[in-house]
Amino acid sequence: MLLQMKGVEKRFGGVTALRQGDLEIRAGEVHLLMGENGAGKSTMMKIIAGMQKRDGGDMIWQGQSVDLDNPKQASQLGIAMVHQESLLAPHLSVAENIFLGREIPGPFGTVNRRKMLAEATRLIAQYGFRLQADWMVGRLSPAGKQLVEICRAIQNGTSLLIFDEPTSSLSEAETHEVFRIVRELRERGTGVIYITHRMEELRSVGDRVTILRDGATVHTEALATLTKERMIQYMVGREVNSIYRRDPLPPGEALLSVTGLSTPDLLRHISLNLHAGEIVGLGGLMGAGRTELCRAIFGLDPISTGSVQVAGRPVLLRNARQAVAAGIALIPEDRQRTGLARELPIAWNVTMANLDAVSPGGVIRHPEEAKVTKQAIDRLRIRCENGKQRAGRLSGGNQQKVVISKWVNRGARVFLFDEPTRGIDVGAKVEVFEVMDQLAREGAAILMVSSELPELLQVADRILVMSQGHLVGELPRCCTQEDIMRLATVPPDSGETLQ
Amino acid sequence: MIKRLLPFLALLTLFVALSIASPSFLTSQNLSSVVRQTAVFNTLALGMTLIIISGGIDLSVGSIVALGGLAGTMAMAKGVPIPIGVLLGVATGLLCGFINGILITQLRIIPFIVTLGMMGVLRGLALIISDGMPVHDVPKGFQYLGEGTILGFPFVLVVLIACAILVHFILEHTRLGRYVFAIGSNSDAAVYAGIPVNFHTVAIYALCGGLAGLAGLIEASRLSTGQPTAGQGYELQAIAAVVIGGGSLRGGEGTVIGTLIGGFIMGLLANGSDLLGINPYVQQALIGAMIIVFVAVDELRKRRS
Repeated sequence: MLLQMKGVEKRFGGVTALRQGDLEIRAGEVHLLMGENGAGKSTMMKIIAGMQKRDGGDMIWQGQSVDLDNPKQASQLGIAMVHQESLLAPHLSVAENIFLGREIPGPFGTVNRRKMLAEATRLIAQYGFRLQADWMVGRLSPAGKQLVEICRAIQNGTSLLIFDEPTSSLSEAETHEVFRIVRELRERGTGVIYITHRMEELRSVGDRVTILRDGATVHTEALATLTKERMIQYMVGREVNSIYRRDPLPPGEALLSVTGLSTPDLLRHISLNLHAGEIVGLGGLMGAGRTELCRAIFGLDPISTGSVQVAGRPVLLRNARQAVAAGIALIPEDRQRTGLARELPIAWNVTMANLDAVSPGGVIRHPEEAKVTKQAIDRLRIRCENGKQRAGRLSGGNQQKVVISKWVNRGARVFLFDEPTRGIDVGAKVEVFEVMDQLAREGAAILMVSSELPELLQVADRILVMSQGHLVGELPRCCTQEDIMRLATVPPDSGETLQ
Repeated sequence: MIKRLLPFLALLTLFVALSIASPSFLTSQNLSSVVRQTAVFNTLALGMTLIIISGGIDLSVGSIVALGGLAGTMAMAKGVPIPIGVLLGVATGLLCGFINGILITQLRIIPFIVTLGMMGVLRGLALIISDGMPVHDVPKGFQYLGEGTILGFPFVLVVLIACAILVHFILEHTRLGRYVFAIGSNSDAAVYAGIPVNFHTVAIYALCGGLAGLAGLIEASRLSTGQPTAGQGYELQAIAAVVIGGGSLRGGEGTVIGTLIGGFIMGLLANGSDLLGINPYVQQALIGAMIIVFVAVDELRKRRS
């Protein structure tokens, strides 16, 4: 037994983040840790990695009871963590980041750059990463950064490695790369704890699962015997219909028509139509241009050729205002950074895109605004105290609903959802799908970008696939994940035709 | 709630403590002089509140004080009626702020750099047009703005309150004000929501400039001269007032009431130190330390919640 956590507790002020955290990790196993947002997974991991001190319970490391005050002590024991958000210095090289805080010293208090570079190169080669030690970290893709994080964590004799949602920003192919590394670590006898939301990908990599709910460990079992339904049941504490399936409507008039859209750097002659009542999925690998397509349609990035029409009327693609005025809505992939004004009240977020309606003559009518907000909260079932609550205080799913409500309030008819369920709980995901379905039933046209294929298959009426800036094909809703992957990995100029 | 309470309690404590410590504090003469002394940077701080809530900063307001004051007094010295001279000074400030806004939005340079540059440019301009000499030839009636009394109250207090009500109304009750918060809280989200971010950014820098022009006239009126060196360092006092009053340099937070309380806390500290015979060197350090204490307490509060 590598590590035992027994009845671990952690409180932040009056809030109990963890009240009964139990966990056992064997050497050479991949142990999945699951639970909804706020279940206490990250807190438990931070305690194990020495980033936070526990308030109660025991931590037993290789048979010895230990107390960790800081991450350095954890790393001396051989415990390391790969973080969900990249904690790297973008202006430094890969090698400098790998050795950040434990530089190899040279003479007179200097740093031995050459030795660090050589060591980093050796480490990278050992695991076969597609990286170079002298690359600037800021220029790397999210996947590349993840690899640097992994290098940092495994550099010297690590016996327990914690991954906190390592694949949440990675594409399918990159995810497989991470799995390959995880398996390799397992074979070397390293214990791996792996936190994730994406259940689909787990089967191929995990040995056992521990599930947390509301700050307590509720279940541990071998992955092979645990069904998805039971797993979800343990996570949410009730039965959830996770297999969401939408009944498609007969599509109405064409609401959004994109013709021959190209951008200087990526998109090539994209043409597509979205009809009223339709949810169209958009699949593809990271970097295929899905987010870029949404941004271009929304007028955020300059285009070189092509046109966009909403309900037959051309839209000038000069800036987002034109798109908003035409009735297009973008629910961006990075909710925290570009979707939500976290410090502002829910009400202000709801009316942000349509403030004119409640402020005739430039003066805001507060009762009117409160009424509109109440309607939005009821309609999308946003769980909150009231409209004055800060938007950033809500759970991920409810934050997403606030972002959506901004557009519902605006009366948008074309919705571009970019990764709408990223970082959202299982239960809340279904609610987001239901909102999308509701919008479609009310006559909206919806484009949904998702990297989670099962999600696309559940929700979309048909699925468009992009590869390297081209729209390479369209699939019906009854297609399989393999169909999508096959199209997504086809080089667009290979001449291979679509079905 | 607590947020607005803390600076307010500090102001109240300071007020009560000074009333007890010094018999000459609670006299209408002394209180009027506090109001007059703080009027200039309080007016600046009102404009700065808008800017800071929008996530920006304006370092050029001190130079606008000089330029606005000069523009007004030079015109008056040439025989222009006082109200027109005042309007000219305000308009000069408005124009300077407008230029700030245009540079920030069109060149896409961060406000800190643009206004740092403009601080030098406008100060130089003030020295050039005045040839480095103060304008003494000001009509007597102009002193009323800074030194006059209405119903026993300093006239500047009326001006300040009027400006405060205006800025408060803009922030809390108009579309412009709402967009200031939206831009400051998350400018990307504001762009994505189709808000005309550039237009509103220019508008608030112009407004801030106009208020700085007015502050320049108050300063000139109090000195009864137009000084090309007036207002040096005032931009920092204005920023301090906003920050003590709960404004966040990260944007999205701040109130007019808070800013005024911040401004008066600084005014009372200076006045109290004078009354109690505290060395002016110590005064400086004291006010500096206050800024850090207030922000530290505020950060602590935020981290806990």
